[in-house]
Order: sequence, then C-alpha cells, then structure tokens
Amino acid sequence: MNVVLKVEGLKKFFGNLEALKGISFQVEQGEIFALIGPNGAGKTTALRIISTLLSPSEGKVFCLGHNLKKNPDKIREKICYLPEEAGAYRNLKGINYLKFMAKFYAATLEEKEEFITRAKAIADLGERLYDKVGTYSKGMTRKLLLARALMTKPALAILDEPTSGLDVINSLEVREIIKKYVKEGTSVLLSSHNMLEIEFLSDRVALIDKGNILDSGTSQELKEKYQAKNLEEVFRSSLQ
Amino acid sequence: MKKFLNLLTKEIKEIITRQLIFSMLFTLVLFYFMGELGKSEVRRAAAMQKIFALDLDGSQISKNLINSLELTNFKIDLLKGKNKESAIDTAKKSETNLLLIIPQGFGESVAKFEIKELETYTFLRTFSISGIRHSAILKGVISAINNYLSNNFLQEKVPGTSPENIKNPIKSKDFVLVKNKMAEGSASSIAGFVSSQSLLVPVVLMMIVIYCSNMVISAIAMEKQNKTLETLLTVPISRASIITAKMLSAGIVGLISAAIYMLGYRYFMSGFFRDIPTSSRATQVIKELGLSFSANGYLLFGLSLFFAILCALALAMILGVLAEDFRSAQGLVMPVIFLVMIPYFISIFSDISSLSLPFRILVLAIPFSHPFLTTQNIFLQNYQAVWLGIIYMFIVFIILVIMAARIFSSDKILTMKLKFGKKRVQI
Repeated sequence: MNVVLKVEGLKKFFGNLEALKGISFQVEQGEIFALIGPNGAGKTTALRIISTLLSPSEGKVFCLGHNLKKNPDKIREKICYLPEEAGAYRNLKGINYLKFMAKFYAATLEEKEEFITRAKAIADLGERLYDKVGTYSKGMTRKLLLARALMTKPALAILDEPTSGLDVINSLEVREIIKKYVKEGTSVLLSSHNMLEIEFLSDRVALIDKGNILDSGTSQELKEKYQAKNLEEVFRSSLQ
Repeated sequence: MKKFLNLLTKEIKEIITRQLIFSMLFTLVLFYFMGELGKSEVRRAAAMQKIFALDLDGSQISKNLINSLELTNFKIDLLKGKNKESAIDTAKKSETNLLLIIPQGFGESVAKFEIKELETYTFLRTFSISGIRHSAILKGVISAINNYLSNNFLQEKVPGTSPENIKNPIKSKDFVLVKNKMAEGSASSIAGFVSSQSLLVPVVLMMIVIYCSNMVISAIAMEKQNKTLETLLTVPISRASIITAKMLSAGIVGLISAAIYMLGYRYFMSGFFRDIPTSSRATQVIKELGLSFSANGYLLFGLSLFFAILCALALAMILGVLAEDFRSAQGLVMPVIFLVMIPYFISIFSDISSLSLPFRILVLAIPFSHPFLTTQNIFLQNYQAVWLGIIYMFIVFIILVIMAARIFSSDKILTMKLKFGKKRVQI
C-alpha cells in the first residue's frame, strides 16, 4: 500500500495553549482514515495543518511525497479540503461557483468540463444549480461544497465533519458519495464526533482527545481490544 | 496567470453588485439635478433684479435716482398714484420681493446734505438660501444710490475732475512673483483662481482612497463571514496572487466608482460656476506665472495618486484581516478615513508647510498627505519634494505589502481578530 499522508510527532501551539501534543498517524491510498474525538480534541487543528492552512509548530508532515513545510503549494494541487463550516460565494450561481473552482485545478478546457460534469452528478441539484448559492438550504450548500471537493478526484480529500448540520437523508447521500469516490482511488482523511457515522464510513480510525491520539486501528480491532459494542464505548474505555 | 485572472474576475463580480450600480447611478442623477438647481439659482442671481419703487417725493433728484438704478442692472417697476399702504399691498400680491419707497422731501434733504432715510421692504416668501439673496440685492440698491448721489455732488463741487479719482486717490499696481517668474495681478485673485481650479483634487483623492480601502476590507470580511476564506486559501493559487487580486479588483472598481462620482460632482459644481466667465487677463497671468499643469505635471500627479491608492489598498488588506464579518469591516475603515481626513482638512483650511516641525513630520509621515501637497508643489515647481513624496509612498507600500503577504502566509490570517488581549482559536 502507498502511503498518501504521513504525520510524525505533530505539535501545534496557540500562544500557551498546546492544541496538538505530538500526534502521529498515516493514511494509505484508497482508505478512509478518521480522526474521532469530542469537540476541542484537536481534530480541526490537525486537518487545518494538513490542508496547509496552519503551520505546524513541531513535527513532520509528508503528503504525497511532499514536505508540508517546504512545498505547501505542491500539496494544494493534489488535495482538497472541506471545512466544517464552509460556505460558497452567495452571489454566484451554483454552476458558476463550480466553474470558478474548477479553473484552479483544470489544465485544459476539456478537463474543466469533465470536473463540472462530475460535480453536477455529485451535487445532484438539478435546475437549482442555476440559482444563486444564497438561495440554497444548508443541505444543498453542503452537497455543492462536497461536489466542489471531489470533482477533481483529489489524491487526498480532507473532510471536516462532512455531514455536519445535515438531515438523515442528506447525511446518508453524502456518506455514499464519499464511499464511491474512495473506490475510484481517492484517499480520505475525515474528522467527526459522530462515532456511529465513522464506524460506517472509515477503514481505520484514530481516537483523539486533548491533543493526543489515544489509540488507532480498524473499528473491529478497536472494538475487540476494548471489548466494546461500538466506537462510542471504545472511546469511553480508552479514556479510562 | 490563468488562475489569477479567474480569481480577479470573481473578485470584480463580487464587488459590482446591483446595489452598487444602482447607488452609483442614483448619485450621478442626484448630483446632476443639484447642479441644474444651482445653475438656475445662479442665473436668477445674475439676471436683472426687479424692484417696485414708490416715489412720494417726485423731485428731479428722485427721478434721476430711479433712472440711475435702471442703468445699474435693476428693473424698476414704478408704482404711480399710490400711498405707502397700497404700494405695500400691491407688492405683497405680486412676485416681486423688494419695494423701495422714496419719502416726501427726499430731494430737498439731499440738496442740503442732510441724511434722509429711504424705506425698503423685503417680502420673505421662503427661508431657503435663495431668501438670503434679497439682502444682497438691497445692499446693491443702496450702494448704487449712494454712488449716484456722491458722484453728483462731487461733479457739482469739483467740475472737470472724475469723482472716482477724488473718492479713491490712491491706486496700486500689483505684481505677483512665483519662484523666478513675475506677472501683474492680485495675489488673492490668483491664489483664488488656482485653488478653484484644483478644488476637485483633494475631493477626488479622498474619495478614491476611502472607497478602495472600504472595498478591500469588505472583500476580506465577506470571505470570513461567508466562510469561504479557508477554502480559498487551500486552492492551488499563491497567497501573493490572492492579495494582488483583491487589491487590484478593489482598485479597478474603486477608480471606476470614483470617476462616476467625480462626473456627478463636476455636474454639480459646473451648475454653480459654468456661467461665470474666467477673465482672459487672469488666464494670461496664470500662464505667465506657470501655474498650470504641464504634461509632466499631470504625470507626476498621476504617479502620486497611484502610489497613495496602493498604500491605502495594502493598509486595507492588513486591516481586513482583523475583520470578523461585514459589520466589523465598516469600523475598520475608520483608521484609513482618519489618515486621509487629516491632510484633507489641513490642505483646505491651512498649509502643511506652515505647521510646527513636530506636527509637520507627523503629517508628512502619513503617506496620503503627499498627493495633497503634489498639486501645490507642481505649481511651485518643487519637483524634488514631489519625487521625495512618491519615493516615500513607494517605500511605505512595499513595507505594507510585505506585512500583508506575511500575514496571509501565516496562521494570522485565520487567528488574528480585533479582540484585544485574547485570541479565539478553533481547535
């Protein structure tokens, strides 16, 4: 298996606050790796560092063979990041938003059209795609943003709480889309505090709390190790 | 370059909203109508003034006086066969706002050099600015009467000598020197003419700088408010390109908006000044003194304005990072407004060069002060001062851009907020 992302001893300080205390993990090609933990555990900080938004205080991050500190521009070309509370430009029509984003990644006109066709299929918004984003519901905006994130078939998709704020049906659709794209070769690093969702989606998980990774493995391995019925129980046991 | 143009186009589209276009057109129309209103007022003021007159004296002196008023831009409507009350009543019912009553025995008193009072009645039908005009007209009437009577007296007593020579025995021949050029003319009228010609300059400058800054700060604030900034910062485009696209789009739209507002302002001002001819003598003096912009002068002024805008945009980029949303962005424009207003008011009410040394250094440290000085320095051919100002603004711009680029390339773009003492960080 090729390693897409390798994180070693990653630390992050915000003034005196140590948000990450030297975490290490790796994501392999074609797998869904999840960081799970409560609010304030350090999940978003870790994802923001890997997506080149924040700089690490200590430790090393290698993404697709590039050192994050030295070549963030190279990494941006191959990843996509979907923040938890992301939005789209409200004055743009949905289709124009996708075209705008596609132009940053497409080398040719044909490639741009290919991205947009794929995004239309993922978003599945029909004629509403030709309305302004400002008129969309939260679920519609989230699907548009997921379409934006996956339309380029990135080598690594970093998804922060991908189903945050969505209803049951929309959440199910989003999970299915993510699974489908992983089969097509995209690796996914996601975070969630919804542990049942993670159990359904991810190949491997890392339990994170107060900036430390408590344990990692497949859901099955962890459940067996902690003799738990689900990941929520695993997490509770790992804290003890 | 393709990615940069993509971002620049989006930025411009984001700024040019229907509301912006509507407000610009509305301002243009408003200025136009205000200009037209001003024009009609100016025309009315310049037109022949109509006055009712009641001559209760009927002497030769009073008749001559009324004739002399008709020769000095007043149209006299002589009321005949009326007494004071009926004359007031007639004037009240008409549209004429002034009534002059020459009392009985006026001619006799004037012949004896006794002061006799004329009665004037002003009918105030509105309390607007146009109402103020009446007192000016009245002053004109009294001055014309005094002039007529004193001239008559002097001609009678000193025949063969011009009354004007007796009233004003001394006259001066005024010369003005600017650098090593000299011309005949009054310093106040030349200074007045030059300042009226460059009246638009500080207004243009102030508007452009404030407008552009507001746009940049708002653009960043909107990215934060709509939660689009994080996504934008992770797409494959350099941070320098993001900064440049935001600054350039705001600069382009700001310049277009300022040009439209200036067009409106020109309409407005031309309403007041279009019909006032500039004397050819004044133009000649201005030319002789070299107080007009050459092509080189325009180029220097353009350069100075350009760098002031660049400084404003770079400063606005840094201030924009502090904004959390669109509302907080409005408050963050205030430092830029203050920095522009200080030299603006000094340039209007005082002279920067006449300030005390510490205060002058303080004012000159504000990059926006230099374009305000540029016009004056070009007129006075102080090209060295103009160039020093441009170089200073360039240095300030480079420093501000480096600071903005560092902020955009660091965590600060996400963590810097205008929360004194505390940082709010999402973990």
